[in-house]
Formats: sequence, structure tokens, C-alpha cells
Amino acid sequence: MTDEHRAPPAMDDPDYWDRMADVLDETDHDTELGLEMARDAQRLVAGEMTEAEYHEKYHDAVLTEFGEDERGLDLSMADVAEVDGADGGLTERVEGTFDDEASRREFVKKGGVAAMGLSMLLGGGGGDDEAAPSTAPAEASDDGTRWGMVINLNNCDGCLECVAACKGLHGTSTGAHWMYVMAYEEPEAEEENFFVRTCMHCGDAPCEKVCPVGARHTREKDGLVLSDYDICIGCRYCMVSCPYGANYFQWGEPDRPMDNENFTHDERGRWVDGPPPEGVMGKCTFEPAWQDGQQGENLVGTTMCEQACTRDAIHFGDMNDPESDPNQHLAAYEAAHENDTSEFENRPDDTVSTFRALEERGTDPGVVFIGDEPSPEARQVEGPVTYEEQGLVDDRKSGVLDQGAAANAEEEA
Amino acid sequence: MSTRVSDVSREALVRPIQARSKGFLLALLAALGAIGVWAFFYVQQLEHGLIVTNLGGWGSAGGVPWGLYIGAFIWWVGIAHGGIILSAAVRLVGLKTYQPVARMAEMLTIAALTCAGLFILIHVGRPDRLVTSVIPAWPWRVQWSPLTWDVTVITAYFVLTGTYLLLTVRYDIHRLRDSLPDRLEPLYRALMVGYSEKEDAVVERLVWWLAFAIIIMAPLLLHGGVIPWLFALLPSMAGWAGGVQGPSFLSIALTSAVSGIIVIAAAFRRAYGWQDLIPDAVFRGLAKWLGFFSLMFLWLQLQQVMTGIFAAPTSLQHATEVKISTPTYWLAIGLVGLALLYIFASALKPSLFSIRAMVVACLGVLVGTLLEKVLFVVEGLQHAHFDLYAGVPGVYVPSVVELSALLGTVGIVVLFFLLASKVIPVVELHAIEGDHEEVDER
Repeated sequence: MTDEHRAPPAMDDPDYWDRMADVLDETDHDTELGLEMARDAQRLVAGEMTEAEYHEKYHDAVLTEFGEDERGLDLSMADVAEVDGADGGLTERVEGTFDDEASRREFVKKGGVAAMGLSMLLGGGGGDDEAAPSTAPAEASDDGTRWGMVINLNNCDGCLECVAACKGLHGTSTGAHWMYVMAYEEPEAEEENFFVRTCMHCGDAPCEKVCPVGARHTREKDGLVLSDYDICIGCRYCMVSCPYGANYFQWGEPDRPMDNENFTHDERGRWVDGPPPEGVMGKCTFEPAWQDGQQGENLVGTTMCEQACTRDAIHFGDMNDPESDPNQHLAAYEAAHENDTSEFENRPDDTVSTFRALEERGTDPGVVFIGDEPSPEARQVEGPVTYEEQGLVDDRKSGVLDQGAAANAEEEA
Repeated sequence: MSTRVSDVSREALVRPIQARSKGFLLALLAALGAIGVWAFFYVQQLEHGLIVTNLGGWGSAGGVPWGLYIGAFIWWVGIAHGGIILSAAVRLVGLKTYQPVARMAEMLTIAALTCAGLFILIHVGRPDRLVTSVIPAWPWRVQWSPLTWDVTVITAYFVLTGTYLLLTVRYDIHRLRDSLPDRLEPLYRALMVGYSEKEDAVVERLVWWLAFAIIIMAPLLLHGGVIPWLFALLPSMAGWAGGVQGPSFLSIALTSAVSGIIVIAAAFRRAYGWQDLIPDAVFRGLAKWLGFFSLMFLWLQLQQVMTGIFAAPTSLQHATEVKISTPTYWLAIGLVGLALLYIFASALKPSLFSIRAMVVACLGVLVGTLLEKVLFVVEGLQHAHFDLYAGVPGVYVPSVVELSALLGTVGIVVLFFLLASKVIPVVELHAIEGDHEEVDER
């Protein structure tokens, strides 16, 4: 990973602003607003302005322009600060990182934020195919919805908010992390990287292929890969065949059984979410009940982890729709990392590295990552926020399972 | 020309059915005890779930989701498949020498398949759903899931072997009826429904075709097919994927099955004074086969190790390096290697051969093949392509609950032989020379 690779656009270059103005002029949206947002975004990066201030300043304008403000959280940053209160809430944490020694890496990360103003407009502008290269997987049909994610690993700071939020929503047992964030290091590199492991909701899911009873299945409607808790026999073949390790088996009684059928059952009436019953396999679901509108229209097209992410790293949406949040984020990020083709014109348009994890295994994963793929030599290390600090158990084997039946008794107590 | 079966030979054949001994009672108690221990622990598993095992989930959760249960499952299936291949070969090619052990091989197949099935039952998290979930899904899952292929082929195989055994046993019961205990009369009557001597010739041809089907099926579909395919078809686990698993599994199946048959035949020979019925030549011949299969086993291991360490892709290299640095792996290889050395040595110098030493070597092979199978499952899972997790490889040591199942299934096989030997002759009448002609002339 070279520094040049991630260099932010030269924003002090007047040509840059002219080019952006031209791009914005081609959309149906307010060019002035876009440029002003982009300039302020620069101030945000420089630390002259907080993200909360930025958000507040443009919230109304963005709502007027687009009818919705999709910049991460639904709540304004002020609300979040209130909610999170004294224990180092989101705002504090975001601002805290700004006060840190601005390493180049951090700066580069925030370069992504700087592009947000532009990205909103380009995104809202709609139908600009060049600005929104489709991330739709080759094998998946282009028709209909395919829920998926673009996860910007460059934005992730390993706070584990998504992990805790996911666990809170789905009520999974101790140590079962449907959303799992790993800090890792490459050999001979001191830099800490992050890998955000959801279920990839593969287009050609190995887990589904091997399931002897058809419990693991893909929803035709939107490509979600789900487990039918009423059918699963607990053979764990899906767990063995998944190259990502995304499955979590319910070895004993669930810690917190859930009886909210409006959440645990999708619109087909199948039990596919919440903590699995004993002896049954579970995994990240992308909240089918939310996507089916059973929990309110405002939750369609989002996931708990996306909502919890304070760093704009997780973008959930329809991968087949060029205008969806994930595709727009990728497009904007690429636009913000234009390549210098003045000397070598055959260079790619941008310097953004993307990958689909273990794509070569033929799984057709539905999650696209921005950042560098971990090498085979990469090793997980303790992250800046530990699972214990989040009140979670990372090592389920020694933390829960090795207690055997005693763990059950504890859960029942 | 007719050579009547001598009364002495018939007496020898039904000796286990009529004899009562302290040894038998002790063996029966030991078998029941082993099953009891397992039942005790299995009740705990039913009560609390699989959390009482030492299994875990690979990934962030650490550990391995498949362990001793699956390793032992493959081992039992291997013994079953090897057993029936041997028996079928006897019938198909007319290997007269081994006819005294053909039925034992078939019985071993039935018993070992039962144990394999039990391991599936105790491995799954929801045994209560095995019928309600598997059967409705079968028609559309059978085209995809290797586990469904497995269940299908093993069931077909169980039926095939059962038919085979039933058909051949009717011939014997009919002729030995006078020597069989009266109190089992209802059972014999049920086994003999619709029997007439006219069927003997038909059955003989039918059994030949069944043997033919088994010989075709076993290497291609069973231990050279669906069982290794459970693993070989998964690209995410480096130590599992690849075409060598079919031949490798088959070599292990045959090695362990011949060992099992030698042990069982030696036990019967000793218990019932069957020196004439199962002569030394049978053991010497079986030992040569065991030597050949052991050589194949070791050769296929060599293939995997060499291709895994010379210039293999990172993940395969890693998996292989871990394998060859595991002492248990070398214990497994060593046990099979020692048996091979002994067999070769006694082939060069026949005076070295003794049935007692052969039985010890065979027990070593049985332990070695079991260790190799469990390691294959566990280490294969511990070294996946995606090797980022700190919790992986983790540690897996089978729990008492899991080990008790191994004890229990050995108990089941022993119990099966003890009980079956009280009902039917474990050596078929055909094995007694000349019996064929006698039948032909009737």
C-alpha cells in the first residue's frame, strides 16, 4: 500500500473546483450548494469545523434539495450526543479522533468525508452512469433488488459500535458476532488495518449449496441468504463450507430468546432472524424484517450496523441500483480519489482499491470493500477498542463453550 | 460326485450358537457396559445440547465445528465399505480361501454402518428433525448437497448389504435347522418366509449380481466417492480440497476393514477352537492384503505431503506443514507403517508370522486410521484459506462425551457379533468344502 495510492484530491487546485462545478452543472441539483458543501468539508478535515456543525449547517438544505438526508445517521449529531451521554458518545469520539495527531492515514480517511458534499449531489442527481459504476456482481441478475453493502475499510476505526449494535438488535448469544470487526496487521508493517466481516450474502452461496435440508436459502425477492430456523438440523455443514467463517451455531440454550415475531419472521412468515434456538445455525441476516417494511418504512434499505457506524464506513443498499447508497458512496469515493493521468493517460481513473473477499472461491459475494484485501500472511491483533471494553466476549470457545453445560446454567439463571 | 458335510464340521459351525461360556458373558457385560457409559453421557448432550462437547465454531468463535464425531463417522463407514468390498470380492471372483470370513465381513458392514449412522445422529444439533427435515427436502437437495448424497448412498448400501446377508443366510438356516435352538423358532420362521430349495440357484446368481453392484459402487461412489467428497469438494479448506481424497479414503477404508476382519476372525477362532474352520492360510492371505492396502495408504499420504510442501499455494503449504509437525499424525503413520513392516518381514520369513502378533498389528492399524481420520477433519478445518482470525486454529481435544460415543459404538459392534452369533452361523455353510456339490445334486 503506497501513500500515493490513497492521496486525496488536490483541493487547493482551482482546476479541481472548476471540474467539479462542471460535473455538478450536469446534474439537476444546486451547483452552488454542492461546491459550498465540498469547501466546508475541507474545513471539516482540517479541523476548523466539527462534523456536528457541518451536519447541522447543511441538514435543511440537503432535505430541501433531496427530500432526505442520507449522510449516515438519521439523528443529528446533537441528538446523538444527548443519547450517548457521558460515556464517551459518538460525537465525542468523532471529535476526539480529530484532536489526535493527524497521521497521514487519518487524514486520508477523512478525505472521504470531504467528498461527501459532492457525492450527495452526484448521488441525488441520479442516472449518471459514469459517476456510478455498478457494483452489481457479474453472476447476479441485474433485475430486481440485491441487498448488499459497500464497506469502506479506510473509514473504519475499529470502534466496534456496529458489533455491539448488531448483537443488541438480534439478541445473539455471548460470543456470537454476526457482525465482526477485526483489527489486523500485515507482516513487517506497523499500520493497523481493519476488516469488517458480515455475511457476504453470496450470489452463489456455498453454505446454501451444501445444506442437506434447504434450511439455508436465498430469498428470491432480494438475494438475502437466510437460515430457516424451523428446518435446520444443525449439521454445521454450512459453517464448514463458508470460506468467511460467518456462521454462529447455537450450542446451548440462547441467552436471550426473542418472541417478537414481527422481527424474527420475514414477510413470508419464515423464522429467519433473532437468536437461533438450541442446535440451529444463525448468521448475519441484513435484517429481513426491516427490508420487508415490517418495522416501518424508514428502516427499509438500512441495517443496524449501518446506523450504528459513526465513521460512514458501512453502506447498505441495493447493489443492482446505481443510485443506491453503497454504489453512490463508492462512486463518490472514487471521484474524490482521481488519478493523475496527465502523464500516463492509460492509468485507471481513480486510485481507489476495492475487492470482494475471496471472490476467487466463486462465491459471488454481495459485499464490496474499499481498501486493501488482507494478505494470506495478515494476522488479527487487538484493536483500539477491545471486545471486552464493549462488554462483548471475543473468544467464544474459551469464554463460553469450554464451560460446557455450566454456560447454559449461567444463561438460564 | 457328492461329499457330504461331516457332522463334525456342522457341529463346529453351530458351536457359537449352542455353547455357553464365562468368556461370552464377560464380553457381553463389557459391551453393555461400554454402551451404558455412552448412553449416560449422551443423555447429558440431549439435555444441554452440543455445548457439552469440546466443539466450537471456526471463525471468531474459535475451535472446530466438526470433530471426533465426524472423524469416527468416516472411520466406521470405511470399515463397513472395506468389509463389504472384501466379501463381494470373495463371491465375485470366487476367492475360496476367504469364504470362512465372508459373512463376518458382511456382518461387520451392517454393524459398522449402524455406528456410522449413530454418529450422524449424535453429531447434529437437532436429531429430532432428521426425519421431518431430511425427507421432505430430499427430492430437491439431492442434486446439491454432498451430505444428502451421503445419506442416500449409505441407505442404499445398508439395504443392499442387508438383502445380501438375508439371502445367503436362508440357505444355511434351512440346512442347519436341526442344530439351531428351538426357542428362536419364530425368528427363523420369519427369516425363512417363502423359502424353497429351488431358490438356491437363483439366489446364487442374484448374490453374484449384488456383489457386482457393490464392487462397482463401493470404490466409485462410497469410500472413493461421496464420503471423501464431503470434504474434497470444498474449496475453502486447503487440507480437504482435491482429487487425491477419493483414493486416499478408499485406501484407509480397506486398511481398517481388513484389520477389523482379522481381529474378529481371530477372536472367533480362539473362542470356539476354529483352527480348522478358519485356518492359518486365511490369516496369512488377509495379512498380505493388509500389507498391500497399508502400502497404498502410506503412498497416498506421501503424495499429499509432497505436493503440500514443495511449492504449494500458501494455505495448502501451511496446512501441510502443520500436519507433518503434529506428533499424532506420525503416530498414525507409524502404527500403519509398523504393521506393514511386520507383514513384509513375515512374508520373507514365514516363521515370524503369528496370529497373535497380527492381531496386535491390526489393532494398531485400527487406532492409526482413526487418528488419521479425526486429524484430517480437525486440522482441515483449522487451516482454512481465510486465515485471519486470531481464534483459529484454536485447540480441539475431544471431550469425555465425545470419547464415550467411540466406546459406545465399539460396544455396539461387539454386542452385535455376540448376539448375532447366537442366532445365525457366522461362517457360512459354503465355506465347508464340498457343500456346494451336495446342494447342486439335490
